Amino acid sequence: MNTLIQCPQCQAWLLEGVFNQPELSPCPACGVPLQVEVFPALFRRINPGQSGETLLIEGESSCFYHPQKKAVLPCQGCGRFLCALCDCELNGQHFCPACLEAGKTKGKIKNLENQRTLYDSAALALVVVPLIPPLTFIGIYTTVITAPMAVFVAIRYWNAPRSLVHRTKIRFVAAIILALLQIAGWGLLFINLAGHHRS
Amino acid sequence: MPEQEYQRLTRTRSRSAFAVAFVSRTSLWLGKDHLLCVDSSGYTETYKRFYFRDIQVITLVTTKRRTVWNGVLVVPIVICLAGLANSLFSLPREAGAVIVTWAIFSAVFIAPLLLNNLMGPTCTGYLRTAVQIEELPSLNRLRRARKVLERIRPFIIAVQGGFPPEEISARMRAAATSPDGTAMGSSVTLSPPPAADTPAAPPVIS
Repeated sequence: MNTLIQCPQCQAWLLEGVFNQPELSPCPACGVPLQVEVFPALFRRINPGQSGETLLIEGESSCFYHPQKKAVLPCQGCGRFLCALCDCELNGQHFCPACLEAGKTKGKIKNLENQRTLYDSAALALVVVPLIPPLTFIGIYTTVITAPMAVFVAIRYWNAPRSLVHRTKIRFVAAIILALLQIAGWGLLFINLAGHHRS
Repeated sequence: MPEQEYQRLTRTRSRSAFAVAFVSRTSLWLGKDHLLCVDSSGYTETYKRFYFRDIQVITLVTTKRRTVWNGVLVVPIVICLAGLANSLFSLPREAGAVIVTWAIFSAVFIAPLLLNNLMGPTCTGYLRTAVQIEELPSLNRLRRARKVLERIRPFIIAVQGGFPPEEISARMRAAATSPDGTAMGSSVTLSPPPAADTPAAPPVIS
């Protein structure tokens, strides 16, 4: 990607007069008001990747993955020596590719996580969705199954990582309370029906 | 109480202007050293992180979405108001229920029209890094987008340094004349980041 900037509307190159202005400025080509905030990273040269230095002296520390390459630092995850090629830098920390992969798949490195399942929302939906008006007539009968499911999901995933940005367990609590109320309602109904049946 | 890792910058907005439910919704959050764009489907969340050191350009472009919505909403409002006027002034007077029905229908369309105009002009926000140009759907109102920009600018400047507009124009001209479209080889130098111990400078995030 080059350093030139295009107007998102007309794709014309923006050369001057619109950058880092306090107010909106019209695009010189199409006239659409826009604000373009440019930061120095646009002109930063991207360093090419390093291939690792070949080991020259006998007995010198070598890379765990490339024994013929010189080790430059240890992995902060597993402690193995790494050459410049195997060194993966993340927020000032250095990892080997294996630790980076493990950190992503097992969620050990938080900054690599790019997806989370919201079990609290799922549990709440199990008790609320069947009661939403268009579904109520059918949904009310499904609560005999969905309410215990909601309790199970809430308890099973109580300690599972929740959203990165919502920190409370209020959805789990609400799901459990509503599910227990629904289960209690069904329990009372069955008891009454059993009583009528006996009499 | 534990410190909040992320601060909300925008409320959740649907990715599509005409989508109301059952679609991905997106919001923008401010982290220690990055912006977090959260796409939520309701049961899963997908995260995109834009580190302050990597943000190259943020562009806000005004759009005609507000005008379009006004046009879409005005038609049913006119019909409902005509119906309301007809039921109010027709002789003999129609039943109160008909008048109330027309009034409710009118209110249903007038409320979003008012909201659409109170929220101000619409825009589309784009964020550019070295490898991508990402649209930020949650920056869909100019007023909010500019507030967000004001809030994150000090963090980016703290990491990358300042940049006077004349310097950018000079570099752009140099890039336009260079064969590869880059200004890497130009003689214009970047301003250094502000010193961390300057009282007026924003905090430097390590």
